[in-house]
Amino acid sequence: MFGKGLVKGMQITWKEFWAKKLTVEYPDKLHPTPERFHGKFTLDVDKCIACGLCANACPNRVITLNKQKVGKKQYLTDYVMSIQYCLYCGLCVESCNKDALHFSRDFNMNQYFYKDIPLVLVRREALAEPGEEPEDGAEKPKPKAKAEGNKAAEQASKPAAADSEAAASAEAPAKEGQ
Amino acid sequence: MLKTQEYCLNFGPQHPATHGVFQVILTLDGEKIVKAEPVCGYLHRGIEKLAEARTYTQVIPYTDRMDYLAAMLQNLGYVQAVEKLMGIEVPERAEYLRIISGELSRLTSHVLGTGVYALDIGGFTGFLLCFREREKMMDLLEELTGSRMTLSYARIGGVADDAPEGWLEKVDRLMDEMPGYIEEYNGLITGNEIFQARTKFVGELTPETAVNYSLSGPVLRASGVNYDLRKNMPYGIYDRFDFEVPLGTNGDCFDRFYCRVREMEQSVRIIKQAIEQIKEVDGPVMGKVPKVLKPPKGEVYHEIESSKGIIGYYVASDGSNKPYRVHVRRPSFVNLGYLDEMVRGVLIADLVAILGSIDIVLGEVDC
Amino acid sequence: MLENLFVGVADWLRSLLGGIGFLPVEIAESIVFLVKLVAILVFILINALWLVYMERKIAAYMQARIGPNRVGPKGLLQTTADIGKLLCKEIVIPKNADLVVFLLAPVLIFVPTLMVFAVIPLGKNMAALDMNIGLFYLLAIASVSTLFFWMAGWSSNNKYSLVGSMRVVAQMVSYELPLVLSLLGVIMIVGSLKMSDIIAAQNSVWFIFTQPIAFLIYFIAAVAETNRTPFCLVEGESEIIAGPYTEYGGMAFAMFFLAEYANIMVICAVTTIVFLGGWHAPLGLTFIPSWVWFFLKMYALIFVVMWFRWTFPRIRVDQLMGFGWKVLVPLSLANIFVTGIGMYIYRAIGW
Repeated sequence: MFGKGLVKGMQITWKEFWAKKLTVEYPDKLHPTPERFHGKFTLDVDKCIACGLCANACPNRVITLNKQKVGKKQYLTDYVMSIQYCLYCGLCVESCNKDALHFSRDFNMNQYFYKDIPLVLVRREALAEPGEEPEDGAEKPKPKAKAEGNKAAEQASKPAAADSEAAASAEAPAKEGQ
Repeated sequence: MLKTQEYCLNFGPQHPATHGVFQVILTLDGEKIVKAEPVCGYLHRGIEKLAEARTYTQVIPYTDRMDYLAAMLQNLGYVQAVEKLMGIEVPERAEYLRIISGELSRLTSHVLGTGVYALDIGGFTGFLLCFREREKMMDLLEELTGSRMTLSYARIGGVADDAPEGWLEKVDRLMDEMPGYIEEYNGLITGNEIFQARTKFVGELTPETAVNYSLSGPVLRASGVNYDLRKNMPYGIYDRFDFEVPLGTNGDCFDRFYCRVREMEQSVRIIKQAIEQIKEVDGPVMGKVPKVLKPPKGEVYHEIESSKGIIGYYVASDGSNKPYRVHVRRPSFVNLGYLDEMVRGVLIADLVAILGSIDIVLGEVDC
Repeated sequence: MLENLFVGVADWLRSLLGGIGFLPVEIAESIVFLVKLVAILVFILINALWLVYMERKIAAYMQARIGPNRVGPKGLLQTTADIGKLLCKEIVIPKNADLVVFLLAPVLIFVPTLMVFAVIPLGKNMAALDMNIGLFYLLAIASVSTLFFWMAGWSSNNKYSLVGSMRVVAQMVSYELPLVLSLLGVIMIVGSLKMSDIIAAQNSVWFIFTQPIAFLIYFIAAVAETNRTPFCLVEGESEIIAGPYTEYGGMAFAMFFLAEYANIMVICAVTTIVFLGGWHAPLGLTFIPSWVWFFLKMYALIFVVMWFRWTFPRIRVDQLMGFGWKVLVPLSLANIFVTGIGMYIYRAIGW
């Protein structure tokens, strides 16, 4: 009989009319994000040894990091991710040996101005050597346990890193360090 | 003296029915098409050129973005090509996980193809019901890999991560529900007389023409040619699964569409078998691979069966850690070759139906 | 009491105006008539707004989602917000468009619809103007609206609009015939074109039971007349974008939009009157006023029309013409033939 398929289609839509609706009313209710979700990045500054493996692993050169040699260790002064170019592939997170870089489950990364988009995970000035004259250079550095996070309170810094713009100044020693 | 005139209509890059930014310059006589000239390239992003400046692992996220609807299958093709070049063994558990996520990707691509075809023909409800299922599958893929669409899950030598706790049971449950949903699509879209009147005997393709033009995938199988790479040249561990290859008879739009629906059922079968078999396999998900990949000098070409057709990866290496050349044989691009002749003499509405039944995705056409 | 609400108001107004001594009877009558017409107009326009909301909600519910629910309680003010937005938009006039025709089309599109509502009886004794050729007037005016769609498409200087408007002319003209012919069976049985006579003749049994095929043909032809899916090739979104309406923005687009919903109301009202017994209460439930019954029946039919839209795909132009001329017209002619023979036999038996 012609029309049987049409009637069946109408029966299906009639059934759907009374079925439960699947809308998740954002932002009142949120759809659950799984654990492995590729959201915003978090860096555990204590664990990071500023090796630069993540920056090399990234296909799009999203990560810029600057470091400074404080005694035998490298000290991370800058870690900026230009997430407008990021592919969220996760190769950087995978490549970290010290388990310092992670994804969080936050996906709200929008900003009002374009210049605020790059994620500044670490921006701090170079470490001070306690009790050392500035002329001496770094013989026996003893990096104090600084507070995690961004800006550290400064005392007499090394001569090469005397400016407050750590990015510009750490350029030279960072280049030497690499 | 009355005369009619042919006019030129630009089925432009901005159009709801061209599956992306794709232009067809039509010459029409009334509503019949006299000549159709496809113009592609509006989405060209230079992926093959970019690949020359990235290491082998860094190319993987770029392969995702070609056919973004079935991302895992693109990853799989590239990764298997490089493994072939370097002679790397992949552990069993990784193979099973690749098959499960690959067939899930194929399912998402076919579900979307079905829904969008219904949308093109005019039934909006079918589109949204299909997307309901796609959401569920994408949620599952999100739990496995972290991303919904551009997965970047495969790595050279295995996969990135093992399946989380309880994930396999969730996939199993969804696969149990899928036949019910496919029944619904059949009732709403496939069985509809208006839909059948729109798609049957439209855009017929003979098997000889299909083979001569190198068409592949459901487009080829709808014409009756039994060629599926998973059966004819099995790669990975596809020879351990028992599934059928759906074939069509007429080679018209309806057959191409219905082949995809039946392929969905077969994918469900494969996933269920894979979940059964993976329970006995335990082990690492990543093989013994050096940190810095430097394949020996040489070239390799590897083909797999993606959801749109046969995708082929040609990788040439010059011994360094970056490939010398990566070329991709993209199925949507090749399948579009016959479009001009197929649409001669049909109406505009049929052009939409034919384009939808070839199921192109612009990321792949333009690379 | 509720039954005669509107009739009572009209009578009160008439007596009020009659009380003013110097007013001659004709002027009083015409003022009452004017008030009736304005009331009907306002009613139709508000209904069109409500129908937009109803369509969006029904579409959403059939697609496993909730429709608008933010603007106003349960989203009821969504259409007003939309109209407010469309009022603020610029009506972009294409470069070589035919200006007079381009601007006149959306203005005139409402005219046939509103003219038709003058003869529709919304309840017992509630037609604004009960003409003795009511149905004939309705069908004649309704076919004029083809012209305005054609004007819109032609004047836009756009190939998509031209294709769309040619399709609309072909479609609407070819489905006029089954529309009219299927109603002829009912008119033959009733013997008059007056709306209230048609309703009065359905006292005992509705015409949907005595003329089922005519009902089906009429319904399908009416859906085709209003350019709804499955016959929505005019604005077949995935092919010719919006057909004749492509170049219109802002309030001009809103006019076409609302006129479509007003047209749906017209055809559902006519179906109710001719086939479903008008304002007669089924099963003898007369405590519900007649105009409530009319609206219930009309809205049930509107729901079915919307149900069709969200289930079926679109058919192709040549299949549409084939269906109209080769299937519907012969069927409706056969229906007239059978009805004629049936009537003769019944009269001979002495029913």
